[in-house]
Amino acid sequence: MSVTRRGFLTLKRPGGRVVTPSAGALPPGWLDGSAIGARGLEAEAAEEWQAVGRRGGARPDGPSGPSIKLSSNENPLGPGRAVLDAITAGFGNAGRYPFNVNPGDGQLLEMIAAGNNAQTENVVLGAGSQEILKVAVWAFTSPSRPLVTASPTFENATRVARNMGHPVVEINVDSRFRLDLESMLATVRGAGLVFVNNPNNPTATVHGGKTIADFVERVRRISPDTVILIDEAYHEYVTDPDYESAIPLALSTPNVFVARTFSKAYGMAGMRIGYGVGTADTIAPITRLRMPYNISVFGVAAAMAALGDPAHVEAERTRNTAVRAFTQKALEDLGCQCTASNTNFVFADIGRPNAEFRSACAEQGIQTGRDFPPFTGSHARISLGTMEEMQKATAVFRNVLRPATPVGGGTR
Amino acid sequence: MLTRRKFVHTVGMGAAGALTASYIGARGREDALWSLSTPLEASGAAQAQTMIPLSSNENPLGPGQVVLQAIQDAFGPQGATPGRYSNATGALRDALSGHLGVTPENLTLGCGSTQILRTATHVYTERTRALVGTIPTYEECAGYAAMLGRPVRAVSLNRNFQMDLDELADASRGAGLVFYCNPNNPVATYTGAQATRDFIARVHRISPDTRILVDEAYFDYVTHPDHESMIPLALEDPRVIVARTFSKAYGMAGLRLGYAVAHPDAIRTLSAWDSGSGTSSLNVLALHAGVAAIGQGTAFTDAERARNKAVRDFTVKWFADRGMRSTESHTNFIFTNTGMPARQFRDGCLAKGVRVGRDFPPFQNEWCRISLGTMEEMTKAVAVFGEVLGKVAVAAA
Repeated sequence: MSVTRRGFLTLKRPGGRVVTPSAGALPPGWLDGSAIGARGLEAEAAEEWQAVGRRGGARPDGPSGPSIKLSSNENPLGPGRAVLDAITAGFGNAGRYPFNVNPGDGQLLEMIAAGNNAQTENVVLGAGSQEILKVAVWAFTSPSRPLVTASPTFENATRVARNMGHPVVEINVDSRFRLDLESMLATVRGAGLVFVNNPNNPTATVHGGKTIADFVERVRRISPDTVILIDEAYHEYVTDPDYESAIPLALSTPNVFVARTFSKAYGMAGMRIGYGVGTADTIAPITRLRMPYNISVFGVAAAMAALGDPAHVEAERTRNTAVRAFTQKALEDLGCQCTASNTNFVFADIGRPNAEFRSACAEQGIQTGRDFPPFTGSHARISLGTMEEMQKATAVFRNVLRPATPVGGGTR
Repeated sequence: MLTRRKFVHTVGMGAAGALTASYIGARGREDALWSLSTPLEASGAAQAQTMIPLSSNENPLGPGQVVLQAIQDAFGPQGATPGRYSNATGALRDALSGHLGVTPENLTLGCGSTQILRTATHVYTERTRALVGTIPTYEECAGYAAMLGRPVRAVSLNRNFQMDLDELADASRGAGLVFYCNPNNPVATYTGAQATRDFIARVHRISPDTRILVDEAYFDYVTHPDHESMIPLALEDPRVIVARTFSKAYGMAGLRLGYAVAHPDAIRTLSAWDSGSGTSSLNVLALHAGVAAIGQGTAFTDAERARNKAVRDFTVKWFADRGMRSTESHTNFIFTNTGMPARQFRDGCLAKGVRVGRDFPPFQNEWCRISLGTMEEMTKAVAVFGEVLGKVAVAAA
C-alpha cells in the first residue's frame, strides 16, 4: 500500500510504536572523532566493505555471487559512454597538471558558469562537493560563530566543525523527516554557517522552492552575516513539483551559496568533482581556501563530457524514479514505511536496529547504509541500485524482515 | 580565436600584476602564472599542443603504459567504476607500504602532495608558531600560511643556492613547522642525507616542539652520492614528516596523487584534520593508477632518472658553453642565470613556442627555472633560447 503524507504522521508499526522523529535524543558522543576515524562518509562506507574483506571476516560478496552495493547513494550505472571516452581520450595528458591541459579546469569552470547563467567568479570547483563543504566550515564558522545544521543530515560539515572545536547546533528533522527549518531559524542569530541539505541525506525528503526562499529571507533578516549553504547533491533526482534549485537565489543574494556534485546522478562519484555557486563575494573565500588544481585532468574531461550529455542525466532520473517506486512499494508491503524520497535512496522504518538489519542483509550479499543517529534503532538508508539489483535486494529484505520479531524499534 | 600575441599579452599582464604571495597561496605553485592567462579557446587547442611546456616540472613522457591500462581497467565491466566512491585506498596503501618498507599506519594519501603540505601547515603552525622556509622555495606552504594569518620566516639561500642550514636552524626556534624542500624547487639543489640528518637533530635541540616537513617531490631525480630518503627517520620521530608525490618522476601530475610518510602519531594528526576528507578528495582512477605505478618497481623511476639526467646534462652544457651558469641540479628542471629578467626571457620564448618558468624572487632579474622536456624538445628549445638571448650562431663566451 502506498502511504500518503497525512497518513504517515500517525502511522503505527505492528509493534505499536508511533514514529516521532524529532523526539529522539542524540546519544552522547555519537559523532566524535573516535567514532568516525579518519575517513569520510560515503567513501568510508565504500572502504568499510573492502576492509572487511581484507580482514577475512564477513565477506562483502554474498553466497550467490558478488554483493550488491546499496550503501553509498551512487548511480549504479556510472557515467555514460561519452564520459569514459573523454577519459581515455585524455591519456596523453596524464603527466600534465590540470592547468596545462586544454581544455582544462578553467574551461570546466566556464562551462558550469554558463550553464547556470553565471560568471566564472560565481563558481568554485571542489574535489567532490565535500571539499566545498569543508572549506565553507573553515571559512565561515569560528569558536564564536556556530554551524547550524540538522540531525540527521549529511555529516561532513558537522564533522569538520567539531574537529576544529567550533560549536555545532543540530536541529532534529521534523515529524515528516524533513529539515525543521522553523526550529533552525530560532538558532541562526550570530551563526557562521547554516547547512541546508535539500534533498536531505539520509532522510530523502525535500523542501519546495518557496519554503527555501522564505527561509533564506528570514535568516537574512535575523542574522544578515550568517552564510547559508544549500547542498543540492541530489538535485537531479527530485520529482516533487514544488522543488526549485536555489542557484538563482544564490546568484542574487549575498551570503547564500549552493553546492552541487557530479557524484550522484552524473554517476561520477569516483571522479571527485563538485562545485559551489553564489555571488562573487560569497564564493571568493572558498576559492582562496580550496586546494589548487583539485580536479584531475580526467575529472575535468569527464565533467565536461557529462555536461555535454544531458540526456544521460535525464534518463537516469527516469530510471531512478521507477526503481524508487518499486522499492518503496516492496518495503511498504513488508510494513516498512518510507519517507517521501526525492533522491536515489530511501529511508525506511525497518522496526529494528539498523546494525542488525545491515548485518543480516550483508550475510545475503546486500550492502545497505550506515547508522544514522538518532534513528539507528529504527531506520535504514537503502541506496537504489538497478531494477534487477533491487529485485534481488527486496527478496533479501523479505527474508530478513519477515521472520524477525521487531525488537525495540526506535528506542535506544 | 586566441592569437599568440594576445596570449603573450595576457600572460605578461599576469606576471606584472597579480603574483602576490596571497595569490600564489590561493592558487598553488605551478599554476601561479598560467592560470592568470585567458583560457585557451577550443579553437586554440592545436596551437597549444605545439607549445613546448617547460614551466611546471612535469615528466614529459607521462606515466607508464601499465598505469594507463590500469585506468582503463578501472572502468569495470559496465564502465560503472567511476560512478562508485573510491574503494582502492587500501590497495594503494598496501602497495606503498610494501614499496617503502613501512606499515599502512605510516601513510596518509593526498590530492597531490599539495593536500599534504596544506594540511601540515594548517595543523603545525599557529599565529604564534611560524612557518620557516627558504626563499625561494616551493611556495605552497608559505602562501597557505600567509593566507591563514600565520607568520612566515624566510631564510635566504647560500651562495651556491643551497639551503643555509645554520640560518635555517636558527630561524626554527619556536617555529611550528620547517618546510624543507629537498631537492629544493626552484633552485634544483640537493642537500646530502647526512647534512639533513644533522640539521634535523639540531632543530630538535634548539626547538624540540618544531616539526619538520621534508618534501621529497623530486627524490627520484637525485643523482647525488649521499642520497637517502628521510623516511626511516620519520618512522621513528613524530616531529618529521616526509611528503611525496606521483606528479614528478611517475609522470602523473594530472591524476592528483601524493602521500605523507610519518610516525603513526603524526599521521593521525594529519588525517584527523581532514576529518574524513582526506581520501574523499582522491579520484578512483588515481588510486588504481597509483597501485599500477608502484607495481612497475624501481625500473621505471631508474629509467626516468637516467633519461632526465642525459637531458639535464645536455641543457646545462648548452648554457655553460655560452657562459651561462646553472645551479647543480638534482631535479627535472634547471635554474639558470640567463642574464635577462625572467619575464623578458619567458615572453620571448613564449612568442616562439616554448613556455618556461615563472618569476622566483629575489632572483627574477637574472635567473630562470626551465623544466626539462624530452631530448627532442630540449633540442628545439635551446634553439629558441639562443634566438631570445641573442646567442644564435656562436657561443658568447
